[in-house]
Amino acid sequence: MISLHDEVTLFIMIVFPLYLLAFTLYIIRAVRGPTIPDTVLAIDALSFDIAAFLALLAIIYQSPILIACTIVLALWVYALDIYVSKYFTAEEMGD
Amino acid sequence: MLLNALLIFIGEALVAIGVFCDLAASIGMIRFPNFYTRLHAATVGTIGGAVVPLIGVALMALGADWLGNYRFFLAGASIVAGILILLLAPVGSHVLAQAAHKAGLASHEPIAFDHLEEDRRRGEKE
Amino acid sequence: MIEVFTLAFLMLVSVASVVAAYLAIRERDMVKAIVYSAIQSAMYALIFYVLMAPDIVLVYIPVSVGITPAVLLFVTKKTERYDGD
Repeated sequence: MISLHDEVTLFIMIVFPLYLLAFTLYIIRAVRGPTIPDTVLAIDALSFDIAAFLALLAIIYQSPILIACTIVLALWVYALDIYVSKYFTAEEMGD
Repeated sequence: MLLNALLIFIGEALVAIGVFCDLAASIGMIRFPNFYTRLHAATVGTIGGAVVPLIGVALMALGADWLGNYRFFLAGASIVAGILILLLAPVGSHVLAQAAHKAGLASHEPIAFDHLEEDRRRGEKE
Repeated sequence: MIEVFTLAFLMLVSVASVVAAYLAIRERDMVKAIVYSAIQSAMYALIFYVLMAPDIVLVYIPVSVGITPAVLLFVTKKTERYDGD
């Protein structure tokens, strides 16, 4: 039987290309979308999935300090959503 | 030893569910014909593809002995990030949908009814 | 095996950032160009993460995905939206 360390490494190696395939399909929609909310929605979903992928990378690189970038990325992508929506509906930015 | 193996096994199962939901959401984002139907695919992508794997990573880190004493830090930050994404992602997509409907940016071609438009027109008439 | 996957990831993310930068330059609608530049900065933050520099990522993401698109959207609201001929 293989040890637990090698088993976790093998599992993450198998999951890795499937995540990259999902990212490529999200970027295709972000580039091709005919309207602007299409593009921003694709970036929104893409960034949340990249945040989950960064947490997996923190385990395989054996460096637990890398997990702080996950929270920051999630919060600022939410703020980008709010800016773009305020541009389209408010009469003057700052309302 | 047995407790570590059990925690890692449950964590890997949750990550596998997350990968499957992520692939389904990304294929749906390309194939759906409309902006308003792509919102459904984005919801599956954020909740099933990002919250569930983060909880899985937390369980996996709790069972990993070779990381030393820092594995509790990794597990705690993962759970906090998962709860944050669970609260923030639906608000973000709802705000985008409201902006797209109010400014008339996305055309709703293959649908049959638009109840929000009727309500807004009735509200403006009064 | 970890090094092979790291190199493959770096190559894919670099190609994606170059594509996003090219689209940001050639676009005539200003709001779309701002969103494309936000994509390019997110890809750069990923490269910094894989090269094991988390403090640079923690500064690069608020500056380039959070504050710069906001300020540029303020400016675009007050001036014109489409690139003049």
